Amino acid sequence: MPLKTIKKDTADTLTLEWVLHVQNYRLSLDKNRCAGCQICGLACPKEAIKAQKQLTATGERAQKARIDVDLAKCNFCGICDVLCPYGAIRVTVDGKHILSVVEKESFPQLVRDVEVNAAKFPGNPRQGEEACPLGLITVSDGKVDVSLDHCPCCRVCEFKLPKGAIKVRKFLDGKMSIHERECPEGCKICLDVCPVTDALHLSADGKKVQANEVFCVYCGACRLVCPVEEALELKRTRVSHTPVRSGAWNKALERLTSSLEMTKELKTKGSLRAAEAVRSRLGLKED
Amino acid sequence: MSKRVIQKKLPMPRKAAKTAMKKAKPKATKPRVGVFVCQCGQNIASVINVDELAEYAKGLPNVAFVEQMGYPCSAQGQEEIVATIRKNKLDRVVVAGCSPRLYEPTFQSCVSKADLNPWLFEMANIREFASYCHRNHPKEATEKAKDTVRMAVAKASVLEPLKPVELPVTKKVMVIGGGIAGINAALDLADMGFKVYMVEKTETIGGYMALLDKTFPTLDCSICIEGPKMVDVGRHPNIEIISLADVLKVDGYVGNFKVKVRKNPRYVIAASCTGCGECREACPIEYPNYADMYLGVRKAISPPFGQAVPLTHTINKDYCIECYKCVDACGARQAINFDQKPEEVDLDVGAIVVAIGYDMYDPRDLEWTGYGKFANVFAALEFERLILAAGPTGGKVIRASDGEKPHSVAFIQCVGSRDISRYEYCSSFCCMYTLKHAVMLREKYRDAIEVYVFYNDMRSNFKGYEEFFNRAQNSGVKFIRTKLENRRVTEDSKTNNLTVCGETEDGRSVKADVEMVVLANAAIPQATSPKLSKILGVELNKDGFFVECQPKIRPADTGVPGIFLAGACQGLKDIPYSVAHGSAAAAQAAAILSKDAWLVEPLIAKVNEDLCSGCGICETACPYHAVVVEKKDNRELAKVTEGLCRGCGVCSSACPMDAIAMPNYSDRQIAAQVKAVMARSEAA
Repeated sequence: MPLKTIKKDTADTLTLEWVLHVQNYRLSLDKNRCAGCQICGLACPKEAIKAQKQLTATGERAQKARIDVDLAKCNFCGICDVLCPYGAIRVTVDGKHILSVVEKESFPQLVRDVEVNAAKFPGNPRQGEEACPLGLITVSDGKVDVSLDHCPCCRVCEFKLPKGAIKVRKFLDGKMSIHERECPEGCKICLDVCPVTDALHLSADGKKVQANEVFCVYCGACRLVCPVEEALELKRTRVSHTPVRSGAWNKALERLTSSLEMTKELKTKGSLRAAEAVRSRLGLKED
Repeated sequence: MSKRVIQKKLPMPRKAAKTAMKKAKPKATKPRVGVFVCQCGQNIASVINVDELAEYAKGLPNVAFVEQMGYPCSAQGQEEIVATIRKNKLDRVVVAGCSPRLYEPTFQSCVSKADLNPWLFEMANIREFASYCHRNHPKEATEKAKDTVRMAVAKASVLEPLKPVELPVTKKVMVIGGGIAGINAALDLADMGFKVYMVEKTETIGGYMALLDKTFPTLDCSICIEGPKMVDVGRHPNIEIISLADVLKVDGYVGNFKVKVRKNPRYVIAASCTGCGECREACPIEYPNYADMYLGVRKAISPPFGQAVPLTHTINKDYCIECYKCVDACGARQAINFDQKPEEVDLDVGAIVVAIGYDMYDPRDLEWTGYGKFANVFAALEFERLILAAGPTGGKVIRASDGEKPHSVAFIQCVGSRDISRYEYCSSFCCMYTLKHAVMLREKYRDAIEVYVFYNDMRSNFKGYEEFFNRAQNSGVKFIRTKLENRRVTEDSKTNNLTVCGETEDGRSVKADVEMVVLANAAIPQATSPKLSKILGVELNKDGFFVECQPKIRPADTGVPGIFLAGACQGLKDIPYSVAHGSAAAAQAAAILSKDAWLVEPLIAKVNEDLCSGCGICETACPYHAVVVEKKDNRELAKVTEGLCRGCGVCSSACPMDAIAMPNYSDRQIAAQVKAVMARSEAA
């Protein structure tokens, strides 16, 4: 008998479901949080996720790429959920957000390294909250809460707030550059879609877009919508993640960064393992 | 191609070649034909004037003896024929009686007891062709019988003695499909000492029976009966299971089939996998399990169910994320190979048993059922997995909408079957499995559950089935008889409860409010049937089931010698009948495999190489691929593969050079018949 499935696409959410008798597998994409970036599409091991450029009428603010998930290909593994920098995708089984790929150590988790020192936050709570371009900081009664699940670790807050109030380490590293010559004059589509204010800005004459790598999270939302092939160059070199030994991760890493970066990570892992083996053989304790 | 060109190729002139042929034959002496006119009790004698017919036959050329008999086919009748042949030194025999399809082999063996070559026997069908079809015109029927006898005598006079063709026999057999019918065929054949290749499409043998909870009418656990048989197949030294495999090609003929099978990759090395399941534990990915009718899940590396044979796990690459946790878990056994490729294997077998079973109809197609739309409407096999202790709910019958146990269940019969717009036939086992489900619910939950059965006819024939129907009635199941039309299931969107409406034969409307509905959806031919039918050359009937050779007396044979049918692929059957049919097919196959050479009728095309021009028209004309043009002694010549030729004569009539002869259907013999039938019109 056929498998019962559901796919619902509303203005706010895209939902995919396997309706089994005793289990319910659900993937939901929060379109308001989704930046239309490259990450989930690149990471998906089943190539089920496609990003589609949206047409924009002249004079209007450009729209981010639209993410669509193919129900026939999706296996509800949750890798997109793990890697989404904005925490826009949630995969649940029977409503529980427990990802088997993480539980079974088949896939790592991103390390969102955010250190908060509430004491150094400005007196006005609104000032603290407004420091985050995505509105993920809440301050009440001197307590600071950062919605880490959705934080792309852009570091904008770190620079906006008094020194020492918050310290952020990016989990995606890389290189992002806009080649001035190729960048079409007057086009600011990338600027429109970039969810992190200050990562991109217009040049002084207002004709070209320039990048500020301090805040760029290397998600690639801009790369997806840029109309000129060579204008915008984006390379990811490192993903900060919990330790893991998994072919699925190696492949995801290769697609997100490059074969070279993936090999580098494997080599590092290899030498760490060798060191561990030597240590245990010599009876040394970890230094 | 112009005739001139053809003639150029001839090694000797056409006329000379023909004369040479004639000369080669010894000059025949005048034949002595014996005619036995059968009365067939009153079947023939009540219409045809057999006295007149016998008297007429005496006057025909070459007839040396005529006798009327009550039943020549009886043992006594046959003895009499043998004695008469000897006494009157007859060298040709004509029996004027019934159809040669029924009794020709009987009489052929009868005349051979009198040391007469069996192909010097001819049958004149005066029953089906005269007495049966012209019952009200006895005079004309008698005249027609005379014509028929005259033709038969004319042909018999020019018949030639033939020798049966001997084909070598490969003493191996392929069983396609590992359901309960295939399992029985395979075990029977293997026990008789023949090597059996069991080719199974899915990962495991067992078929549908392995997915059932209980069996009717005894309520025995299904897998407990079939499981040991599956294990026997797996362990039998004479059986090789080729699972997850497709039959790509079948060439050859009875005793000598050449089969190409593709083994699809399971990415686990069967020889190294112990079925321990450690990889399964490590695997993070789950996907909907077909064996659970998609109500439950299985791991991306797993067997479909615990009792699978072989227990070799399979990686489903559609879902696997290739994290290689399974490789780590498997460790030193090294049973996992992600680079496995499809592999083609060639099998030589002497016979083939087709046991590919059936499929289930998707009731989403019938909107009135609400299936696929309402959460608590189930197909029968889904219910089977719900009630099964090893199923996804652990045997708890619960609703999909809220996970609660229903207090009332309605079963609806004939969903898709007995419906002219869908499947006209009766699916044969639904009545009984519905009774089984109904009895199980009532006996388990007693009065805590109300059970309704909406049926049209309750078909509980065969041993112990009517008694089971009584048991269901006594257990308090409410039977509601409705017409097949105007049935409808509706849902209360708040409670997800359902209402089943129907109409009785006298037009009253009936309904039941229930919390769950189970549909007895039609069983339909396997989706792969049309493809396999083409590969094997075995026909399908209008419903899509394989056609047997003769529905009454040869239900396991097909039209292709050496290919047999077992189980539901020939027509829907429940378990005991599938088992019996499997054994029947095995016995039929063994009749071939047990012989060192298989004899076939010599009525197959013969090429006169002196006349053949190698033009290849015969090759394109032959429907059985039995004639091919091959190089021989630097000439292109037609060659007949004896095992494939079915003696249809198409090549013979297509040959522009008259180079192909059909033994005992030669131009001379057919002309003799034609001349004989024209004799009356000339006389008139």
